[in-house]
Amino acid sequence: MALDPSPPHARPHRVVGKRLPRVDARQRVTGEAIYPADLALPGMVHAKLLRSPLAHARILGIDTRRARALPGVLAVVTAADFPELPVGEMIPMGETGYDMWMVAAINMARDKVHWVGQPVAAVAALDVHTATAALALIEVSYAPLPVVPDIVTAIAADAPVLHDHVFTKGVEPRPRAPSNVCSRVLIARGDAPAALATAAERAQITVSVDTAHQGYLEPQVVVAQVDANGFATVWASTQGQFTAELMIARMLGLPAAKLRVVPLEVGGGFGGKIAIHGEAVAVRLAQMCRRPVKLVFSREEVLQGGSGPAAGALIEVGVAVAADGRLVAIEGCYRMDAGGLPGLSPSLLMQASAALYQCPNLKLEGFDVVTNKPRTEAYRGPGGIQAAFAMEQAIDALCQRLGIDPLEFRKRNASVTGSLMPIGTPFPAIGLSTILDRVHQHSCWSDPVGVGAYPRGRGLALGYWRGTSMTSAAHITIAGDGRPMVTIGTVDLSGTRSTMAQVVAEEFGVPVEEIHIQTGDSKSVGYSDGAAGSRVARTMTAALVEACADALRQLRMRAAEKLQLPSEALDYADGAFRARQPGGAAISLAELMQASLTEGAVVGRGVSSKLPLGVEIGAHVCDVEVDTDTGLVTVLRYTAFQDVGLALNPAAVEGQIEGSVVQGLGWALLEGFDYGADGRLRNASLLDYRMPTALDVPRIDSVIVETPVPNVPYGVRGVGEVPIVPPAAAVANAIARAIGVRVCRMPMTPERVLGAIRGARGRAA
Amino acid sequence: MKVLVSCRVNGEQHSVLVDPRDTLLELLRERIGLTGTKEGCGNGNCGTCTVLFDGMPVNACLVLALEAPGHEVLTIEGVARGPELDPIQRALVEVGGTQCGFCTPGIVLSAKALLAANPAPSELDIRQAIAGNLCRCTGYNKVVDAIAAAAQATRKRLDHGA
Repeated sequence: MALDPSPPHARPHRVVGKRLPRVDARQRVTGEAIYPADLALPGMVHAKLLRSPLAHARILGIDTRRARALPGVLAVVTAADFPELPVGEMIPMGETGYDMWMVAAINMARDKVHWVGQPVAAVAALDVHTATAALALIEVSYAPLPVVPDIVTAIAADAPVLHDHVFTKGVEPRPRAPSNVCSRVLIARGDAPAALATAAERAQITVSVDTAHQGYLEPQVVVAQVDANGFATVWASTQGQFTAELMIARMLGLPAAKLRVVPLEVGGGFGGKIAIHGEAVAVRLAQMCRRPVKLVFSREEVLQGGSGPAAGALIEVGVAVAADGRLVAIEGCYRMDAGGLPGLSPSLLMQASAALYQCPNLKLEGFDVVTNKPRTEAYRGPGGIQAAFAMEQAIDALCQRLGIDPLEFRKRNASVTGSLMPIGTPFPAIGLSTILDRVHQHSCWSDPVGVGAYPRGRGLALGYWRGTSMTSAAHITIAGDGRPMVTIGTVDLSGTRSTMAQVVAEEFGVPVEEIHIQTGDSKSVGYSDGAAGSRVARTMTAALVEACADALRQLRMRAAEKLQLPSEALDYADGAFRARQPGGAAISLAELMQASLTEGAVVGRGVSSKLPLGVEIGAHVCDVEVDTDTGLVTVLRYTAFQDVGLALNPAAVEGQIEGSVVQGLGWALLEGFDYGADGRLRNASLLDYRMPTALDVPRIDSVIVETPVPNVPYGVRGVGEVPIVPPAAAVANAIARAIGVRVCRMPMTPERVLGAIRGARGRAA
Repeated sequence: MKVLVSCRVNGEQHSVLVDPRDTLLELLRERIGLTGTKEGCGNGNCGTCTVLFDGMPVNACLVLALEAPGHEVLTIEGVARGPELDPIQRALVEVGGTQCGFCTPGIVLSAKALLAANPAPSELDIRQAIAGNLCRCTGYNKVVDAIAAAAQATRKRLDHGA
């Protein structure tokens, strides 16, 4: 479908761009907002999952007879109760899609388990206590296999192979033996190794990043009900009701006409609620016991293999400059720990790490590696954090060697509009130069770092995230009082309903309070891809601009008929059509609908697809103090600069930046999964897996830059992902400048910082 | 085996049958139907289930239902007076201090306890008061700002009322 360029907005925006409260804020502060855990249906029973205690094992048999015999148990399922799906049967989603073989394995292991916590059976019982008791009565016989706990073990020549059917993709000729390296991606131009070897100055760094978790506060919950016709309704905490529906249907062999997914409020997703986790299992149990089934994950389950964490990584980066200070080579090797099943392609994170520099010689090589950890899932700019932790430290180390200011270095080498991206296509309009100028002018850069009890330093890091567009659908009906009623096909993760109500109010020229907006379920609105990849606000704005124009076109015809004027003689503004000549007749939308409601519904429809990307770029500056006695790093000041195209609602944009930065600081300093050699997570609680509290982080200052994206309504860019990309690198660079030591392991916990300090002292001695 | 428990929640007397293993959180959510109090971890580490127990903020998941009799429990449902939001709630709405909203009820109650004890808290006081409430969306800026704004609004109203 052709892209409708946005109509030129001659007048200043009246609703878009305003700092308005969220339309659903009152329900959230009063506890009225409904999340799936809040649902209780008549006759509802409770499900629990039995999870693998082993990280790698063959399942020899599962005996559920004793569990079934326990009074109060209504149904027990294992993989045998689901169709076996072949490898390579894909659920479409944007450019990638989901392999149903893997989705099924995340939800119920078949024949083999690949991580601790992978589900192997499920029980439905009258109450949770009985369901839990029944789990203990299920007898699973396992044949343990050697555990592959990390990337280094996985890529060793004699490593036990997790999947017999996985042969490394992206290698010619096709390998003869299966491998734990699922794919290899190469992005190259020029001759980076040669340029690196002969350059005037270079810096190299190797980093390792622990697996971490998205950390949404609402654990996965699903309620499933199956009616007498076999029609299933699933109330879920999901980032995409349509993707969930496709996955559930495929896992159960259900036709689409027999299934509806209702997205309720989502207590945080950050990428971890795209794939289903238990939804199809709950439906199967509901089919078997003919009662509504509720499945609630505990926090321990969420962390211990129940829902995918974010990939750990092992990354090496080398960068080099010519004598004139121009970057001449970037070479990177990115090994990503996907967990127990093949993961995302490393291509995007590789591109992200190098995209912001003009560089003639580039060699980026990435590997997707499986280990016996939980299958990872996307986490806000997936992989971008890990890649930036390496790249931005390498650039900073190079600046230190050259004795050049790191901001000045970036100004000289930064990508500008038209620069070639790593994949060879030119950048559309970007505002990186503006961002760097703003950093230069800001007190966060010019103020002295100050003197504290311990050494202090200031770090700078850039971040890039490409995001995605995919497709979004919406429709608008006009109520009997003339007001627009909006249904969108995307889940609201970040205030979508609020910013989209602002867009519709702007297009209709009416106050935002007059708009009703809702997220449709999978049977009440057009197909939309999930809320991911910083795509929703941009693509839904485009869909709604189109839907508003469609509705207003239909209303214009009616108004022309009522006013007995040609439709082109009418102007529309502020909720009314008016004859263009002075003193001419006018009719408001309210009057028009009063007069014409029973002549037929007005339904404006909009679909956005193939919208130009709204690439996200940011620069972060942070000051830290490093306690050299304990290794504790305190972030003193943090400023995030970001080009957002146009801020639909500055409070919402700041909220995305502030929250994203703090998540980034969490992984940078506190959060890491601690796995034993047996593949068991040793810190599966929110006490031991420490996410930042209000006392761990400073106030986050954000500086919004607006460089509109051409050919996109309102010029909106993605916002939510890129601000998580630079924080770890910015902190690492600040630490290096404070104490002269680089901490190459993330999270940069006190013991690791102390270890790095002692290591450096040892080398110096 | 079920046990009859009588307790006061949001000023109303309730008598309900509970399983002796039930927590106060289960009593509120499952037995009385007050689902505004959320469960984020079930073992006292995240603060989403914060309620006031005789005015003190507690994690409802760490209190047994059997301990409730004789105590006054305030949950998020009892904070607003009819349609009139508490100043903390109003400020969270206006400033943008709620995103996914899952931590919000607990934060409102922690803030309520803070402002009852300290009507003029510093930023550090506020951060300390909500340090037991994890929030994964906001980065805390706007939560802290909202609580400060609520404190100021409450002081102003008291000044004018006096």
